[in-house]
Amino acid sequence: MLLTRDSVELLAPVGTWDVLEAAIEAGANAVYLGGKRFNMRMFKTTANFDDATLGKAIEYAHRHNVALHVTVNNLISDRELDNMRSYLKLLDELKPDALIVQDLSILQLAREINLSVPLHASIMMNTHNEHAVRALQGYGISRVVVNREMSLSQLSLLKERTGIEVEYFIHGDMCISHSGQCVQSGVVFGQSSNRGRCLKPCRWPYQLVDAATGLPIDDQAPGPYKLAMKDMCLYMKLPELIQAGVTSFKIEGRMRTADFVSGIVKTYRKAIDRYIADPMGYTPDLQDWENLQNTRSRDFSTCYALGNPGATAIGYSGKREPRFFSQAVREADMATLAKRSHPNPTNKPFDPTLSVHVADLASLIAACQNGANTIYIGGEVAKPGIPWTLQTMVQAVEEAGKYDAKVIITTPRITMERECGELEQFFSSLPKINPHGLMVGNLGALTLAQQHSTLPLQAEFSFNVFNHVTAQLLKNNNVKKATISLEATYEQIMQLVENSPLPLEFIVHGSLPAMITDHSIPEAVLTNQYQSDYDPALDTTRYALLDTAGQQHPIMVDQYGRSNLLFAKDLCLLPHLYSLRTVQNYRIEGQYYTPELVGLVTKIYREELDKIVAEQSAYHFDAGQLERIAAASPRELGIGTFRYRLSK
Amino acid sequence: MYTIGILQLTQNLDDAVHGFKAELTERGIHAEFHYFNADGNIDQLAKLANQLAEKKVDLIFACSTPAASAAVKLTQDIPVVFTPVFDPIGANLVLSMAEPGGKATGVAGMVKADDKLNFMERILPTIQKIGVLYHTEDSNAIVEVANFRKLNNPKVQFIEIPIKEAEDLSNLLDLLPSDLEALFLPIGKVIEDNFATIVYYTDTLEIPIIASHAPNVPDGALAGLVANHYQLGKECAVKAMQILKGASPSQIPVDTVKAPEIWLNQFTAENLGISFSEDLKEEATEVFE
Repeated sequence: MLLTRDSVELLAPVGTWDVLEAAIEAGANAVYLGGKRFNMRMFKTTANFDDATLGKAIEYAHRHNVALHVTVNNLISDRELDNMRSYLKLLDELKPDALIVQDLSILQLAREINLSVPLHASIMMNTHNEHAVRALQGYGISRVVVNREMSLSQLSLLKERTGIEVEYFIHGDMCISHSGQCVQSGVVFGQSSNRGRCLKPCRWPYQLVDAATGLPIDDQAPGPYKLAMKDMCLYMKLPELIQAGVTSFKIEGRMRTADFVSGIVKTYRKAIDRYIADPMGYTPDLQDWENLQNTRSRDFSTCYALGNPGATAIGYSGKREPRFFSQAVREADMATLAKRSHPNPTNKPFDPTLSVHVADLASLIAACQNGANTIYIGGEVAKPGIPWTLQTMVQAVEEAGKYDAKVIITTPRITMERECGELEQFFSSLPKINPHGLMVGNLGALTLAQQHSTLPLQAEFSFNVFNHVTAQLLKNNNVKKATISLEATYEQIMQLVENSPLPLEFIVHGSLPAMITDHSIPEAVLTNQYQSDYDPALDTTRYALLDTAGQQHPIMVDQYGRSNLLFAKDLCLLPHLYSLRTVQNYRIEGQYYTPELVGLVTKIYREELDKIVAEQSAYHFDAGQLERIAAASPRELGIGTFRYRLSK
Repeated sequence: MYTIGILQLTQNLDDAVHGFKAELTERGIHAEFHYFNADGNIDQLAKLANQLAEKKVDLIFACSTPAASAAVKLTQDIPVVFTPVFDPIGANLVLSMAEPGGKATGVAGMVKADDKLNFMERILPTIQKIGVLYHTEDSNAIVEVANFRKLNNPKVQFIEIPIKEAEDLSNLLDLLPSDLEALFLPIGKVIEDNFATIVYYTDTLEIPIIASHAPNVPDGALAGLVANHYQLGKECAVKAMQILKGASPSQIPVDTVKAPEIWLNQFTAENLGISFSEDLKEEATEVFE
């Protein structure tokens, strides 16, 4: 197809009125900005647009033939739903050109109010496969900000197969974790990165250690900032970007100044126009490249655009980090005061279910023997563990059957092209395994499962279920049970459970991932930027990152080479089970435990649940039970989000 | 018609620029402005100052100490008006506050230690032991800590808690004396930037924080007595006008913050079981719920 000046949209970030004027003056085709109410840049009180100024900004942009997209890209809690409804109605009247959304509930609310403004899926939706795109298209999503881990060739294919408009971050600040899948700031500080309040724990210094011994490992990284992603810059790859069929070139930086935004927009504007006018004769402007270099904050990388960048995308020295937002803190432990109110008395019968996520057959048997109702198997397995095979899955169902327990097969949280292909193949084998259900990790896997299986479906915590309208949407999509967001606090959980039309499950114990990165963190720092030969130690050793508060965060590298970075402390809400009675469905994340520990933890949770059933309001928690788990656990235990009344 | 250059380190100080421009307009001064912002990149300031000089500006309004230093170092004889520089003498911008003696004058943005102590006693009337957490590599913090050492108040004892680098805050729990009644944070970038880690620990110990950096108050400090940047900008405009009308900056005294603002956090107060008096709330510029 021939290129015209309209083939490409240059999309600029705007935080204040002067940036709006400057970005348009500099040649942006479209701008995106947030209101004061719901968006992903909530720290600066002077930035973003109030309701009245939003209207003026839209009018101003339209007068200059520039499209304006409003970011409505927060996760929202039950108590914020009414405010969101009224905000959507206001936006419907103001008529921006699109809303950029994260929370699945907004798709549902948009239907309810017949929203006339087009919807774009935010990067925070972590959309990375064609099946998810099709599901979103069904909800009227016309454009997807694809996730940062997709390469240009992958997104070309995605666009070709679905016809969706693709928006891609081409310049600016990046996350190391898959977007929408980082809960470290939310759990540790009560300030959620999915709600615009990230305190950037990925910018802390860390030391790589052997997880077994705790001893430092001599790595090749030139500094301790093991997770500090460099800034994206695709200026030198503009032809590749345009030919890949990216519709919208998105510049990051809604908190940046007018000068800064204007400079970047002008640079890309000139280059895009020159390329489209004469693609064969195009060369990058080296003076402009030098200017970009001179005014950069961090070093530049092409990130994932040309493939997995490994160590080359990390600024290990930390020298160019513009500012820090926090330093490592000791995670909440069991002595930390839990902020929970006294639960309302409930008349509902208490009929608890206990699920356990395990990594191998021995653990499955241990869980079954000690009173688990449901066992989760499959999905990611950390090296040196071995992934579940068709054969071990058949055995799992057989073994669990002896104890009258159900087996539900989980699918990986991230399923890009490779994993989706594998999933389709795997689903065709389901009749041989005959499990009791499937638990899916993202919208694409949900769509695939719906197409290929009639088994009951569950949604994993990666769906970020934070309000009951999201639960409703999942129910409408034939999901039978969903997992509550890892970031919800006690009060938020209670409201969600009370209002949810769908049974919900809550994770009460275990080792949980704080982030998931698409590259192997140890491989990046141990093998000198992917250039060295294969090092077998990477498949046999477990590593951890040691922070400056003296805590170890285990790195669980899975069979796909992704790093699941765990919290330093394992979650334990055993003392709070009684006050969580209305939840009914409880889960233990035991896939990083030995079979013995899985058995012990299952046994103790089962005993306490049974005691609550038998003794009801006379129930008294026995602290000895907690001590038994603590003594056997590989890591210290902590109360996670229960440190906070509300997750901000 | 005058030409005025504005040299800015970060947009966080833009309120000063707004106040500066508003006051000039108010006083009937018409000027063309050239606004350069280094976006936090200190190394850029010298180059930006040079660009302003090339534009033959009549005066430079410099926000922050590094911006003021860059403007003063220009070889051209361009007058400089600065704010919210905390230690104009220490930064070699002026010889004395009363008679700057060079090409720069302005308004120092540091709230007096006396005023801050009175404010702390007003909020926490029975206070006796206050920690002072500061970064030893921060020149502004050192100036402020030195000012606090000179205070002579027999009722209140200040315990200094120096940190050498930001990561030391990870173990703040071990550094805080157990009988501390409040923690005061002097100005200083490392402390202000990493406030989330500080308040994480003081929350556990239920110790109130008195901040010097306004944005730390909505983020969880109990209160702060802070300079209003807009006001500082307005006061600078008055000095700028004098210079444009022919006065020499060497003779225009440097002022300090006259009417600092009270910022309170009601939510933090409730969590700590502290209540603000009605007159305090009335006087406050901001009360966060």
